[in-house]
Amino acid sequence: MNTILVRKKWIPYLWLLPSIVLMSVFVVFPILIVFRLAFSEISRAGVVGGFTGLDNFVAAVQDKAFGTVMGNTAIWVVSVVGLSTVLGFIVAMALNTEFFGRKIVRSIVIFPWATSLVIQASVWNYIIKYEYGNLNNVLLNLGIIKTAVNWRLTYQIEFAWECGIGIFVTIPFVTFCVLSGLQSIDAAYYEAATVDGAGFWKKLRHITLPLVRPSLTVSTVLNIIYVFNSFPIVYTITKGAPANKTDTMVTLLYMRAFYDQQKGPATAMSVIGFVILCIAAGAYMMLSMRKEEDL
Amino acid sequence: MKMLSPDRLEKNKRTGRILSLCALAMTVILLCLPVFEAATAVYTKKSPNTFKGDEKYTAVKAEVEEAIKDYEEFGDVQLKEDVTLRDKSDGTQSSMITFTASTKGHFSGWQLIQSGVPAGKLLLLLLILACVSAALAFTKGVRLHGIAVAAGILALLLVPVFSMTITRFFTRTIGTVLSGAREADITRELQGADGLLYGGKGGDKIRQLLGSMDFSCTAWLWALLIPGFMLICGAVVSLNAKLSEALGRGALYAFVISLCVLILYPYYVMFITGLRSAAETNDMYFLNMLPVQWMWSNYGDIVRRNVLKYLGNSLILSAGATLISLLCGIPAAYAMARMKFRGKKAFLGFVIMSQMFAPVVLLVGISRLMIGLNLNDSVVGLMLINAAFNQAFAIWLLRGTFVSISSEMEQAACIDGCSIVGSLIRVLLPMAAPGIVTTLIFVFINSWNEYTISTVLISTPGKRPITVGITQFSSFNMIEWHYLFASALLATIPVVILFLFIEKHLVAGLTSGGVKG
Repeated sequence: MNTILVRKKWIPYLWLLPSIVLMSVFVVFPILIVFRLAFSEISRAGVVGGFTGLDNFVAAVQDKAFGTVMGNTAIWVVSVVGLSTVLGFIVAMALNTEFFGRKIVRSIVIFPWATSLVIQASVWNYIIKYEYGNLNNVLLNLGIIKTAVNWRLTYQIEFAWECGIGIFVTIPFVTFCVLSGLQSIDAAYYEAATVDGAGFWKKLRHITLPLVRPSLTVSTVLNIIYVFNSFPIVYTITKGAPANKTDTMVTLLYMRAFYDQQKGPATAMSVIGFVILCIAAGAYMMLSMRKEEDL
Repeated sequence: MKMLSPDRLEKNKRTGRILSLCALAMTVILLCLPVFEAATAVYTKKSPNTFKGDEKYTAVKAEVEEAIKDYEEFGDVQLKEDVTLRDKSDGTQSSMITFTASTKGHFSGWQLIQSGVPAGKLLLLLLILACVSAALAFTKGVRLHGIAVAAGILALLLVPVFSMTITRFFTRTIGTVLSGAREADITRELQGADGLLYGGKGGDKIRQLLGSMDFSCTAWLWALLIPGFMLICGAVVSLNAKLSEALGRGALYAFVISLCVLILYPYYVMFITGLRSAAETNDMYFLNMLPVQWMWSNYGDIVRRNVLKYLGNSLILSAGATLISLLCGIPAAYAMARMKFRGKKAFLGFVIMSQMFAPVVLLVGISRLMIGLNLNDSVVGLMLINAAFNQAFAIWLLRGTFVSISSEMEQAACIDGCSIVGSLIRVLLPMAAPGIVTTLIFVFINSWNEYTISTVLISTPGKRPITVGITQFSSFNMIEWHYLFASALLATIPVVILFLFIEKHLVAGLTSGGVKG
């Protein structure tokens, strides 16, 4: 066994203590505060009053932007997580084959992951500007287009750009998770399959996919959490304009809490967000706990 | 001199042949096919309150057809009608018809060389290079093949350069000539363009014609050249394989190269824009891909606007957060990896749960807590928050590393009288160094890139980290893009380099630590 014997029973807890204290104070405590505020009356000045039951939740749901924003959030999470998983998988497959310059490409693929989201979002915000954006500049210079194109004609298109940028920055994470799964696959499986006459698609379906599934699960569930909570892209590019039509839940919550001073409904929205995420996390816990049986 | 192996020489020969053939093929396409297009709007007439087919329409159309006869000598004149319908407030519709007559001309590279337009010389150079490359590749001399490869690559690289030069000539140079900014060599260039586009019949109308001319390379030139180029790259590398495999390689290269171009594009934009002048970043009509004037002074300007201070704040903040996170995380990860105790699963669940709560969602709670602890608007507060939210990842990565190392050495050390703490510090930590460095850098980068909590918690400008600091360049109605991107680049380069160091270990840690246990 790979364990060390300790004489006294309380010693392991002593080892955990610093970590538990740190997380309790700065993670658990804010969670409790948010829950308390969600059920309390809060004045515009921020003074917390008495218990109000579900008033804040009713206010949050009746917020005229709520429906649109929930829809946007669903589109945002599903499209970003889904497409980046598919594309990241393809990139990982490409990077798992031997070719000249593979190391360089692997290094380049990691760039978006290492860059702050605010910075990525600002750059893309500049690229797709109509009047002086860099995309028009490059395309005009190459002679591909004759006049400048407005790349952000309507808010739907702008939101699509935001999703695209979300996908762009999420791909590296998926790629590297899948890549680590791919690299642990024994080459003998493929050799045996080739001998049996299996083609590329058969190998993909019967060897690669089942064996990479654990990595894919981890990356997908973590991505659901990260993407749901992702804030800087939407905030930098449209700030939810026009009239919250491009907001996701997190940006709306931020706006309500810090610009409109509606802390009550905002915290209620946080709680709604927790509940949604808890469902995702429940699935995650079950999947990862199953793997921890041998702990 | 180093001798090249015969195998290598053979490969060089094949590479040279393929490259030179491809360069020749591209040159032939550019020379012989009419891939360039110039449309000149020679005549426009707007006819308001006209419906298609009514009396006024017929009259105006006849008038237009009469008028455009004057232009027929310049090439094929095509007449286009655009109908604009608009609903009026009283429910009826108004209609306007716009007649546009334009001559459309296609021309090939060969005609370009003949006309004496400046870009023609580049094309000539390309042709010469391709021929030289081909000639060398098919002669017997061993050393010549290397030169053939070089000439072939050079020729292929010249294609986009040539394409940009010709676009520049027709859009920018002619524009400046017409506006009178350059008087000196006006006749030669205008004559060249005249000969090419209007068969030399432009005469005194040439200025008016060129003024309303639109130039473009046909889209299928790009559709042909770009994938072609990428396929070549793949095919060159896998010369000895079967055709289908070589094509598969080509497709792989095409995919990988486009991926790299896409990923590097924002960084190119950051670099280029960071070196432009303020006027250039906001100019609707600037048409250069590279800055007209390389403004290295931008970096001096941003330093004067406190960017170094922000970078310093970020450094302190991230270093502090990393230190705290590791000091708390290492013992916890050690206990998780090496000790048996009740509640282990509960703690793991707790760690996993804490990942779900992003700071953004908890912002209201965090800001209240920080005010309560009197840590509002302080870098130490930010450090603690970042450390806490990175605990999950730190414990996760570290536990994975510790589990993968056998405990025999530590047990031996324990028997020799070393305490648990002693064995951890003297035996395990040195062996786990790669994993620890990975965790360290990972937490550092996460704290460095963090933006949301800092915007809310820090109100004193002097205490801002760089991610918040760069927002000083974007106010509501004006964004100083050049300063913004110059500082963004400074903030990005160090973390990207750090990330490259841990890339390999991070991949191993991400799944082995979390999934496999």
